[in-house]
Amino acid sequence: MSDKLNQIFQKQQKQIDGPDKADEDIIQLVGFVVGEEEYAIPILNIVEIIKPIEFTRVPSVPEYVLGVFNIRGSVIPLIDLRRRFNLPPVNNTGDTRYIVMKGEGNTAGFVIDRLTEAIRIKRNRIDPAPETVSSEKGMIYGIGKREDSMLTILKVEALLKRDF
Amino acid sequence: MDDIQEILEDFLIEAFELIEQLDQDLVELESNPEDLELLNSIFRVAHTVKGSSSFLSFDVLTKLTHHMEDVLNKARKGELKITEDVMDVVLESIDMMKTLLHCIRDNGNDTAIGMQLDDIIARLEAVSEGKEIPEEATKSEVVEKSEPEVDTTPEPEVEEASESSDTEDYSSMSDDEVEAEIERLLNEKREETKKKKAIKKEVHQEAPAKADSTVAAPTAAAPTPPAKKQASTLEQTIRVEVNRLDHLMNLIGELVLGKNRLLKIYDDVEERYEGEKFLEELNQVVSAISLVTTDLQIAVMKTRMLPIAKVFNKFPRMVRDLSRELGKGIELKISGEETELDKSIVEEIGDPLVHIIRNSCDHGVEDGDTREALGKNKTGLIELKAYNEGNSIVIEITDDGKGLDADLLRSKAIERGMISEQEADSMSDREAFALIFKPAFSMAAKVTNVSGRGVGMDVVKTNIEKLNGIIEIDSEIGKGTVIKMKIPLTLAIIQALLVGAQEEFYAIPLASVSETVRISLDEIYTVEGRNVLRLRDEVLSLVRLSDIFGVKQVYEPGEHTYVVVIGLAESKLGIIVDTLVGQEETVIKSMGDYLQGIDGIAGATIRGDGGVTLIVDIASLMEMAKGLKVNIRESMQSKAKKKTSPEDYTVLVVDDSKMDRTIMKKSMEPIGLKTIEASNGQEALTMLKSGEHDIDVILIDIEMPRMDGYTLATEIRKYSRYKKLPLIAVTSRTSKADRLRGVESGMTEYITKPYSPEYLENVVRKNTNLIAE
Repeated sequence: MSDKLNQIFQKQQKQIDGPDKADEDIIQLVGFVVGEEEYAIPILNIVEIIKPIEFTRVPSVPEYVLGVFNIRGSVIPLIDLRRRFNLPPVNNTGDTRYIVMKGEGNTAGFVIDRLTEAIRIKRNRIDPAPETVSSEKGMIYGIGKREDSMLTILKVEALLKRDF
Repeated sequence: MDDIQEILEDFLIEAFELIEQLDQDLVELESNPEDLELLNSIFRVAHTVKGSSSFLSFDVLTKLTHHMEDVLNKARKGELKITEDVMDVVLESIDMMKTLLHCIRDNGNDTAIGMQLDDIIARLEAVSEGKEIPEEATKSEVVEKSEPEVDTTPEPEVEEASESSDTEDYSSMSDDEVEAEIERLLNEKREETKKKKAIKKEVHQEAPAKADSTVAAPTAAAPTPPAKKQASTLEQTIRVEVNRLDHLMNLIGELVLGKNRLLKIYDDVEERYEGEKFLEELNQVVSAISLVTTDLQIAVMKTRMLPIAKVFNKFPRMVRDLSRELGKGIELKISGEETELDKSIVEEIGDPLVHIIRNSCDHGVEDGDTREALGKNKTGLIELKAYNEGNSIVIEITDDGKGLDADLLRSKAIERGMISEQEADSMSDREAFALIFKPAFSMAAKVTNVSGRGVGMDVVKTNIEKLNGIIEIDSEIGKGTVIKMKIPLTLAIIQALLVGAQEEFYAIPLASVSETVRISLDEIYTVEGRNVLRLRDEVLSLVRLSDIFGVKQVYEPGEHTYVVVIGLAESKLGIIVDTLVGQEETVIKSMGDYLQGIDGIAGATIRGDGGVTLIVDIASLMEMAKGLKVNIRESMQSKAKKKTSPEDYTVLVVDDSKMDRTIMKKSMEPIGLKTIEASNGQEALTMLKSGEHDIDVILIDIEMPRMDGYTLATEIRKYSRYKKLPLIAVTSRTSKADRLRGVESGMTEYITKPYSPEYLENVVRKNTNLIAE
């Protein structure tokens, strides 16, 4: 138990230290998991994160557009990122969340499997997207390199772009 | 007189708006001279100003814009490169255009400042013909010369111009008749200006005005009474920014949603606390609020509504002038001018109509001799008609002219490289007619003052698209052309009929619903692959809402079903739905760019319970229905898949005690059913909703944590597909009250513990129709 507590303390310390070490050119991201992989999007594009609520199916749209839902008086499309990335759909679990993202004039909710954490990453730790990625074509902003893992940073504009 | 004043005001407002945009566009163009879109939009401004000003007899302005148009047109077609020199001249002419517009605003005519156009026109012509640098030196001189004239002259000349009548300079291009006519009109206008000045004086002097106006009376006897009227109407109207009205409308939309929600809550409360005294009071408040909300909504909507006469009024004059100019006899017949529509639409509709009518006059109607030779009435007829149709307003422009030649249109389009020959071959006539909306496409043999540059119809298309409208062209060679513009009344709040298709709900705009009928499946016939219903003495095509929207079938509909009869234009369609929910006020919300223009869906609304319901787009739904071929009767009668053996059946056992669940499972064993378990109501509900298992019977314990058996039963019964699912309460609660509650919550059977396994087995057998062998 105390080990775990220590880890958390260290992590928090790191986050506090973070900005001092290199305050220039740091991007703040929110990380989440879809399928097996961890993705992230810039924190400034996030309007809010909510637990799954009822939505209404919309006909004649691609499968990954689940429908629309009401968020404080606005009707917003709901997009399943699993299906968007051609992964098999699963039922909602207790960890499932809707991330409401905003881009140029467009807002939409995205279903993700679970949230991970807020991430600060230096811009120079981000590599451009590899050219040969099929399913997430054009949706990737870059690959963030972290100490122990890789992070796919998504392009919010591309996610919010209608392509049907 | 008042009409003209009104038109003039509209023209000025429009022109200044256009010019504001023009300034931005020109600046952008300079840095980006290749941008065709930008050039097109600048060109359209010049074109529109020219059109309106020629109609209002502002000849100076017309002449100027006509030459500007020439230059811009060449640039647009790529025949002229936009160089700095060209830009200089264009910008200067636009400045002059602005000066003229200001002059019109201040004086009511464009001759008051006595602007000299000859040199700028000469330069515009030079530029358009591609002559270049040699004029450079003289150009700058002329600019300097002409500018002081413009700046210094206005004040002293205002009075002079309104007295003097020498307008010949500017109309020298026209013949004597037209000249005389223009003069007469100018005189009229001058009279008006004088009157206006008189009025202004009065308004300024306010209190002591009485004495003054009696003095003024002899000099201008007639104007005094109307002047007073005008002064008083001034106080009764107020100009409000449209943005504020829009904001107000949005707020009221939210209020309506709140009201709907309140009504729903009231219904719930009423059910639960029946007979309580406070209900009466609550009822009063709720109805008062709902009444006021409705009134408020209508009031605001009305503030935004204008009769279309506001737009139509300027056309008789325009057609008259055009017919003189073109030397053709043309009569304009207007009907439906009292049709009201939203202000925003009234404003947008003006330009397109001007262009369509000009086209009809210029290209549609033939000249008198030709008409006589063809055996037509010598005078051409243009009909302008407005009427409501469902949720839209329709404006029809009909002429009895020569009609459009689809083949000629095709070949012309090929000639201009707009379409390939293959495309042309596969084009229907109607598609070919639509070619006239392409930018820079003109059928006119020569460019005239009236039309022929191929820009007008582009304006039409752009504006109608902005309104989400539809344009349809029907034409027959020799007979005439009908242009039908259908514009949705983009009123934010509409009455809608809520219907259910399986588990989904849709809102159908009530304005399009003509009736609803309940029919038996036997009444549906199939004729040549179409499903029809005999309704009184009509045969009605039928289509299922679930088929159109691909709703998943989750339950078998009964022997009877509902048909919502919708009407659009002269066509009717019956839509089969599973349930009729009721009428509700809905606030149309857009679903954002991401989901705009989905087939069959006009928008979404938020219901009283906070859920989202989609609003059906009738026109596109009818279109979708055409392509649908499903035998409704067959598909509605065919049972999903027959269950025969006991293994096909699934029983869900809901109990918080593991032991009880095991006992129940054991009792099921002799039948051979499949059993699944849930330890509380919440879990059971989630399992049911997930649709993972096809559950046929549920055994429910009453006392459970998180969600008890009664609540579970109530929740399950909310879904229409589980209306008939057998729910069997298995409980140790034996009192009569408990049993009653069980029935109320929707339990099918009520078994009290302890029970014999055989008894439970029998009850389950009975409810699954599995008779013991």
